[in-house]
Amino acid sequence: MKNLFAFALSSLTRRGSKNFFIFTIFTLMIFILAAIFTITHALKSEMFMTLDALPDITVQRVVAGKQTDIEASRSETIAGMFGVADAVPRVWGYYYFAKAGVNFSIVGVEAFGTSYKKSLDVVAETYADRLMEENTMIVGPGVAETLKRHFFSDYFYFVKPDGDLKKVTIAGVFKPSTVLESNDIIVMEIGLVRDIFGMDDTMATDIVVRVANPEEIPTIARKISEIYPDTRVVTKEDLKISYQNVFDYKSGIFLALFIIAIFTFFIIIYDKASGLSSEEKREIGILKALGWKIGDILQVKFFEAIVISFGGYLLAVTLALGYVFGLDAPLMRSLFMGYSVLKPPFELPFVLDVGTLALIFFATVPVYIAATLIPSWKAATLEADEVIR
Amino acid sequence: MNLLSPDVIAILMLDAILFLFALIALAISVQIVRKWDRSATTPLQYALEKRAYLVATIIEYIFYLKLPLFLYFIYTLDLLSNILPGAMCAAGVTNATVYGMPLFVVKILDLYLFGLWIVVHRIDMNKPDYPFTKRKFWFFMLIFPLFALETALDVAHFNGINPHVIVSCCGTLFSAAKTSAVSAFITLPTSAILVLFYGNFFLIVVSWVFKRSFFMALFNLLFVPVSIISLVAFFSTYVYEMPHHHCPFCLLQSDYHYIGYPMYMTLFFGTFFGIAAWVAQKLGFDSYGRWMLRSFIGDILYVALVSYYPISFYLKNGVWL
Repeated sequence: MKNLFAFALSSLTRRGSKNFFIFTIFTLMIFILAAIFTITHALKSEMFMTLDALPDITVQRVVAGKQTDIEASRSETIAGMFGVADAVPRVWGYYYFAKAGVNFSIVGVEAFGTSYKKSLDVVAETYADRLMEENTMIVGPGVAETLKRHFFSDYFYFVKPDGDLKKVTIAGVFKPSTVLESNDIIVMEIGLVRDIFGMDDTMATDIVVRVANPEEIPTIARKISEIYPDTRVVTKEDLKISYQNVFDYKSGIFLALFIIAIFTFFIIIYDKASGLSSEEKREIGILKALGWKIGDILQVKFFEAIVISFGGYLLAVTLALGYVFGLDAPLMRSLFMGYSVLKPPFELPFVLDVGTLALIFFATVPVYIAATLIPSWKAATLEADEVIR
Repeated sequence: MNLLSPDVIAILMLDAILFLFALIALAISVQIVRKWDRSATTPLQYALEKRAYLVATIIEYIFYLKLPLFLYFIYTLDLLSNILPGAMCAAGVTNATVYGMPLFVVKILDLYLFGLWIVVHRIDMNKPDYPFTKRKFWFFMLIFPLFALETALDVAHFNGINPHVIVSCCGTLFSAAKTSAVSAFITLPTSAILVLFYGNFFLIVVSWVFKRSFFMALFNLLFVPVSIISLVAFFSTYVYEMPHHHCPFCLLQSDYHYIGYPMYMTLFFGTFFGIAAWVAQKLGFDSYGRWMLRSFIGDILYVALVSYYPISFYLKNGVWL
């Protein structure tokens, strides 16, 4: 067995160029697959980490299939329900800055009130005195930079729905450590946000609900939608599942397309492995004349396939990890980032799980070995006397 | 398809490849069973002898791929439990469609059968006149429908999972309530279960001491259901340290250090070699004693693994659950 393995290795090196070609292509294919899956997985775990900070339930009002403003007073009814820790109306929205072609997210906070998100609370507290001043805002680093590029380094003129201008001064910039969350965010006092969006004072964008016991979330969500039939109630779990599905969908589509590639590759291998040169045929003939059995030659061929496929797999996975986590996946990450001018710059967190490695393994290595089965058998059953002659 | 998870796609793709190869093997097996004649010197017999090698290679490929693929299959079910509402482990996903449970049973059965086929093949290849060739291809023709059924169930199961329908969690599937499938076993008195389990193991030990391969095989065959029932009814509660948590699937999760994987692997290893040793002796293979030893080691490891939990629980807490 050991000798057969050694023979397989030397046989591989003897026909270096042919095997090198297959090895390179195979490694490249696994590399692409591995890179895609590691990026997906890293993004997914990053996403789930941020999802944990989301509110348990979000209540939106839907009219004619479109989301509209909701009465802020409803939050009091919801807060009175059993099991609800707290219900807060949110005022926020997107402001399109046409010159730069970007959307800013404007979020309203109450300077000394509690809001739905810890990080916003911190902002509201640290900048409380500055937010209390008339017409001020705190902006994310990305927003600050974009505004500066258009010569608004101290203030900005928002265009209200009725065409009036609203001058708001920049009171501060977020710390860069929160860049993934805050890059495109503008925080203002809640009344100011309503003013800019032309919203009624009694209205809010949506209501977020915090539930003390996570087991009760589905029940409370159902109750809310029974009290207010015109609302859409979204729970954190719903969001998690749909994010999971989006990521699965993306990598699933990719894998489905990849299967076409791997079957093409299957045929190339099949063809390459079937087309034995006369030299190889002679070699097999001589081995059989020396007393090798069919099983021995099959085993050598099998070892060759193992060395190429496992070697390709290991090399490709190592390269992919270096590419994704070392180089931060240039080119490929934009496939997943979507496109938006205010994309936050960030590093992919290092996450590696055995499941992803197993998935890459099962999608590639068995296919390669399968492709060599029949050609190996054909080679092993060649007639000694015919090929030596 | 309702479910577009890359893991499911990979499994279905490999299913397709394996099934295609099994079809080739089946076609050749039919030829061999019909036309095989050891003493003939016709070109056909000659070609058949060569093709027999192809079938053997294909079946070995299928078996050695199915072993890790089965583990991966369970892992995927566990993964899907994150998406399916209500499911907390593979149990819920398995029961998401009516095909889940039969699929599991057929998959395990197939592993044993393919393994046994390879045993017969190995012994056959060791004899100068290949006396079992016809029989082993008959055997494969009998396995094939089961394998086809497994592939069909795989497709039907993954296709039938609807991620919007709430499924049951293992807490209700494996409960003592009348409606659960295994309630009959869970409500058995603990002493009966323990006597059954350790009694069966004792019989295996006795058969090993007296080197009786037939009894070894018989008791090992019996050991499979007995182990699983006792695991569900008794041992699992100690792993979870919860008197009402009976589930053979949660063992496979990271919360319990994936302890289920070594458990099921040792159980398969032990029982498989126990049965294979008898087959080997029947076919006149001399070193079947070594296989009995392997079986014995596998069974001991399994019993040690599952016994560790109640014992350590008792030592730590001074009470039984």
